[in-house]
Amino acid sequence: MRIKKTRRDFIWQTGGGFAGVALMDLLTRDNVVSANSILAPKRPHFPAKAKRAVFLFMNGAPSQVDTFDYKPELTKRNGQAYKGALTVGSNGRPVGYLMQSPFEFKPRGQSGLMISDLFPHTSKFADDLCVIRSMYTDTAAHASGCLQMNTGSIFLGKPSAGAWVTYGLGTDNQSLPAFVVMTDPRGGPIGSASNWTAGYMPAAYQGTLFRSGAAPLLDLKPPAGVDDSTQRRSLDLLKTLNEEHLAAHAEENELSARIASYELAYRMQAEAAAVVNLGNESASTRARYGLDDKLTADFGRKCLMTRRLLEKGVRFVQLYSGGGHIEDTWDGHNDCITNHKLHAGETDKPIAALMEDLKATGLWDETLLLWGGEFGRTPTSEGVGKPGRDHDWHGFSMWMAGAGVKGGQAIGATDDLGFAAVEDRVHVSDLHATLLHLLGLDHTKLTYFYQGFNQRITGVRGEVVKKVLA
Amino acid sequence: MRSLLLGLSLVCAAAAADPDFVRDVRPLLAKRCFGCHGPALQKSHLRLDRRADALHGGESGVPAIVPGKSGESLLIRYVSGTDAKLVMPPAGPRLKPEEVAVLKTWIDAGAEWPGDTSAAIAPKADPRLAHWAFHAPKQPAIPPVKNSAWVRNPIDAFVLAKLEAKGWQPAPRAKDADLLRRMYLDITGLPPTLEEQDSFRGDWDGLSRELLARGTYGERWARHWLDVVRYGDTNGYERDAVKPSGWKFRDYVIRSLNNDKSFQRFVLEQLAGDELPDSDAETLLATGYARLGPWDDEPADPAEDRFDQLDDILNTTSQGFLGLTLACARCHNHKFEPLTTKDYYGMIAVFNGLDRPRDGRTELDRPIGKWPEIARFNEREAKIKALRDAARLAWLQSGQSKLAPEAVAAFLQAPKDREEAARKLVRDSTKALDAELAALPVEEEVARLKRETPDLPRGYFMEERSATPPATHILIRGKASSPGPEVPPSVPTLLVKEQPSFAADGMRTSGRRLAFARWVASRENPLTARVIVNRVWQAHFGEGIVRTANDFGVMGDKPSHEELIDWLAVWFMDNGWSLKKLHALILGSNTFRMSKTSNAKYAAEDPENRLLWRMPYRRLEAEAILDSALAVSGKLNRTMYGEFVYPKVQKEALEGSSDPDKIWAPFTDENKASRRAIYYIVKRSLMVPLMEVLDLCDTTRPSAKRQTTSVAPQALQLFNGDFVNRQAKHFAARLREEAGPAAEAQIERAYRLALARKPTEAERTAMTAFLRQSSLEEMCRVILNLNEFAYAN
Repeated sequence: MRIKKTRRDFIWQTGGGFAGVALMDLLTRDNVVSANSILAPKRPHFPAKAKRAVFLFMNGAPSQVDTFDYKPELTKRNGQAYKGALTVGSNGRPVGYLMQSPFEFKPRGQSGLMISDLFPHTSKFADDLCVIRSMYTDTAAHASGCLQMNTGSIFLGKPSAGAWVTYGLGTDNQSLPAFVVMTDPRGGPIGSASNWTAGYMPAAYQGTLFRSGAAPLLDLKPPAGVDDSTQRRSLDLLKTLNEEHLAAHAEENELSARIASYELAYRMQAEAAAVVNLGNESASTRARYGLDDKLTADFGRKCLMTRRLLEKGVRFVQLYSGGGHIEDTWDGHNDCITNHKLHAGETDKPIAALMEDLKATGLWDETLLLWGGEFGRTPTSEGVGKPGRDHDWHGFSMWMAGAGVKGGQAIGATDDLGFAAVEDRVHVSDLHATLLHLLGLDHTKLTYFYQGFNQRITGVRGEVVKKVLA
Repeated sequence: MRSLLLGLSLVCAAAAADPDFVRDVRPLLAKRCFGCHGPALQKSHLRLDRRADALHGGESGVPAIVPGKSGESLLIRYVSGTDAKLVMPPAGPRLKPEEVAVLKTWIDAGAEWPGDTSAAIAPKADPRLAHWAFHAPKQPAIPPVKNSAWVRNPIDAFVLAKLEAKGWQPAPRAKDADLLRRMYLDITGLPPTLEEQDSFRGDWDGLSRELLARGTYGERWARHWLDVVRYGDTNGYERDAVKPSGWKFRDYVIRSLNNDKSFQRFVLEQLAGDELPDSDAETLLATGYARLGPWDDEPADPAEDRFDQLDDILNTTSQGFLGLTLACARCHNHKFEPLTTKDYYGMIAVFNGLDRPRDGRTELDRPIGKWPEIARFNEREAKIKALRDAARLAWLQSGQSKLAPEAVAAFLQAPKDREEAARKLVRDSTKALDAELAALPVEEEVARLKRETPDLPRGYFMEERSATPPATHILIRGKASSPGPEVPPSVPTLLVKEQPSFAADGMRTSGRRLAFARWVASRENPLTARVIVNRVWQAHFGEGIVRTANDFGVMGDKPSHEELIDWLAVWFMDNGWSLKKLHALILGSNTFRMSKTSNAKYAAEDPENRLLWRMPYRRLEAEAILDSALAVSGKLNRTMYGEFVYPKVQKEALEGSSDPDKIWAPFTDENKASRRAIYYIVKRSLMVPLMEVLDLCDTTRPSAKRQTTSVAPQALQLFNGDFVNRQAKHFAARLREEAGPAAEAQIERAYRLALARKPTEAERTAMTAFLRQSSLEEMCRVILNLNEFAYAN
């Protein structure tokens, strides 16, 4: 007798909980069963150009009217008190006075995309950028804003975008982390690791902090005083003893997975060290990334490492520009102008160099880029004579570029002042759906069994923004 | 034209004044609603072409039409578009005001529905209500078995009966050394010492009694419960502040388990410790249960935030105690379980009186004790404040203060009247003024009052400030901004014949939680005993009899041994809901004492070992791995209880924080940090990396079970990280001291300490060869990384 089994029955029979879900996915996609392959590569839901993604996170929230959202009306009404109904911040702060952008906007490239002169280098790739000018989100606080942009939810504990992609696609290179995060030397984003967490999924999917120094990963190097031959000898002994132990329990996949993890860790030591060793990059490459200039050196190094990580098959890289609080990030409450000059100045050239290299190596056609912060900034100043801008979650700009993206266009619009998205509004969850779609994942099908049912790991909202797609 | 318009509006006016169902209402519903909510399609499970269905409503659980009450009818709310987020129909033009008026008037007039026979359609019985776990367990008969010699207690009979039905044999008994280590790790989370290994004489039941009596039992098993109740020491988000006195809840759990508090009482204390007739300091600490979760102190929407926190309590309570996923019924009736929004909001009403004591963004703790003690203490505090306020005012007005006159003037202003300059003066001079005030004679009186009524310890819990909690409404689509009908407190309808009484009975609070808790902890509740018995089983065997420990609903896992779980649940209740008796029963079974040896034939047929033909392998939890390493190295600080400690964390791990210099306390005192991992701070924005990589649970929601993953970063931290290497050094020093300089003795002692067994010949040879080239520290590092160290046989 043939009994029709439900997916859930099957899951419980093949491994229970997570392991079962992973197995299920593997079986259905690849006809392969392996219990050790929590990070094994998986086929996407449907064919897609993008295989990898880079999220350039402009932490602190860049101002749309100073970057990608040209507003002549704002210039006309500069200095007037804001009379509209929109509110600012989460605790009823005054909205203030309209403040024009001091930055010059010009049409760029063949497409004539309007970009401010904060980004002279990125502007050269105007025809590759798809600017979404009609982003909006649900919160005006950094902690919940960063969480929402990274996890789709304003609440703690949900898996982040890099974890979704790692869960959905696995990784091609087991000896480097699948999901790499690089933070700013001034600190991490508000909410720290909850921004790259795997949430309720296994920690294996979480973002791994990667640094530019000699030890890019946590505990990558043997402890002080242990040289490589000693390390190898110890690992060999461990392997021998563990294999002897396994011989009596050959069917225990967990035990063999654990044995393998030590060998992977050893390989990771060499691979990760190689990625951060920029010695074999030419002087001209180093200069293009701005490594010779104090202003751009740090973000430049991160962008260069990003290229090298992508070349090694890393699935998802997230770079943070800005860390800590207020002016150390894009959070220009006091002086948005000086602030944005600094943070755009630090990042513009390195980002352009990364784009240039991706194009040169052909990785461009398989890599998706996403640029933006947790929300936007108000077209108003916080006080007369104080060029700071407050948080604006009603409308802001982000851009996508690379594999599968239709460049040289702006989608949606904010109102005349650049305050709120009014046309083709794109919620953060819509952006997430689009990001996953470009990577071949259907956000409505990317589920994980938790709290009693198969949850959509991106949350229940979100529609793919078709206009983004090439 | 004008007359035509006038004519039309007259017709509408007539219809609105006295609408006729057949002429005015039905055509309108047919045209604009039936497409999605009619005979062919019932979006959101709503059907508007039959009166009974319309009155019942759709998945929101709220009636679409309440005859006589258009204001309470969801239909009117949607079509009138008063709430921008809730508008129907979703496509096409909006209903005209006249059309809305027609529907309103018709409903207010009683929603007459001529010719409707739907009331006669018998509602279909919900087959889900027959689900096994929704009915109180009855103790089944113990099944007969052939191999009765194997049966040490009824657990074995239930397990063996299933095996014999397949013609299978249980695995042989584990080797003594393996079983000894298994017992110690299972009950105390620590391996047996050499003395304990040497002095053991084979009395396994005596051993389990002895281990259950140790304080280390509570330290191990409390962590299982903390997983369920989403324990954390901070609230997360931007400031991620430490919850003052929050750690006392963890101690409360350890103490409760060590005292073998009945689980019934444990439930009552956590849900309603402040409402118990014999409420005291301990039960108030228990009430901290409601306040363990994360929250944003800068919420996007304060009204939503309030409900999100109630949702957190409800979710933890329904999954933790009842094994129900009731939180899924916040926006609509549960999609899979027979649970409705009424059930959801009825339980919300139970907790709706609770509030977090706070001052702006600062969370406050409260004095704990018996209520009269607390009242006396609060009275003292009020007296002291009045005395000090008066003395301060007199002092400032007396002209005796040495402060600058402007500063004195600033202090004399009401805080809200102070300009920035005055605020600065106040900020800068507060310390100086305080010093002056401390020398005033009033302090003698204050000291006397404090002697008379001493300080009370403090605790961290939510409080109900009155006997009348705010009204609770069903929220349409779960939004705080869209209240629907009011609901009284209730327990899930499917579980009771009649609701418990939620009367306040003249208490200082609403008494709702106490009534609720008494129901949760009652024998009539079909879930509570089964759910906790299953959790205990899961912690002993790695998997529960029901593998979805937080979900006993129709979507939950089918029990592998339904009769056994019911037998255990009834036995547990009959035995005073004593967890220690339950442990002793399980540990006394031959089932628990089986070896982990596999069997190719059984494994092929039952790879998940659902029938328990052997004891399953499973990795120790993060805590037990770390604690064992400390015990083996000899550096375990066995101090029990107290404030959390900060273990050493890699400097690099702090770089991801927005406050890398402030987020973690510096590591200065190794002994202080060498406590059991249950005492590590659970900081929601920075989990201890070694704990996290070893699959610490999600701390934001009730966790059903730890995951087990094996990835390279885990190996990196365990092999290269500070913690294990530090313990390896201590371990090596200990071996030198205790075993002397001879390699053979060192190897033997190392194995006995770490694995509670002697090394095999092959191991001895491998280790001896290794030590010729590598240090003893290196050998110790390898031993602490062995699979067998993390996976007890």
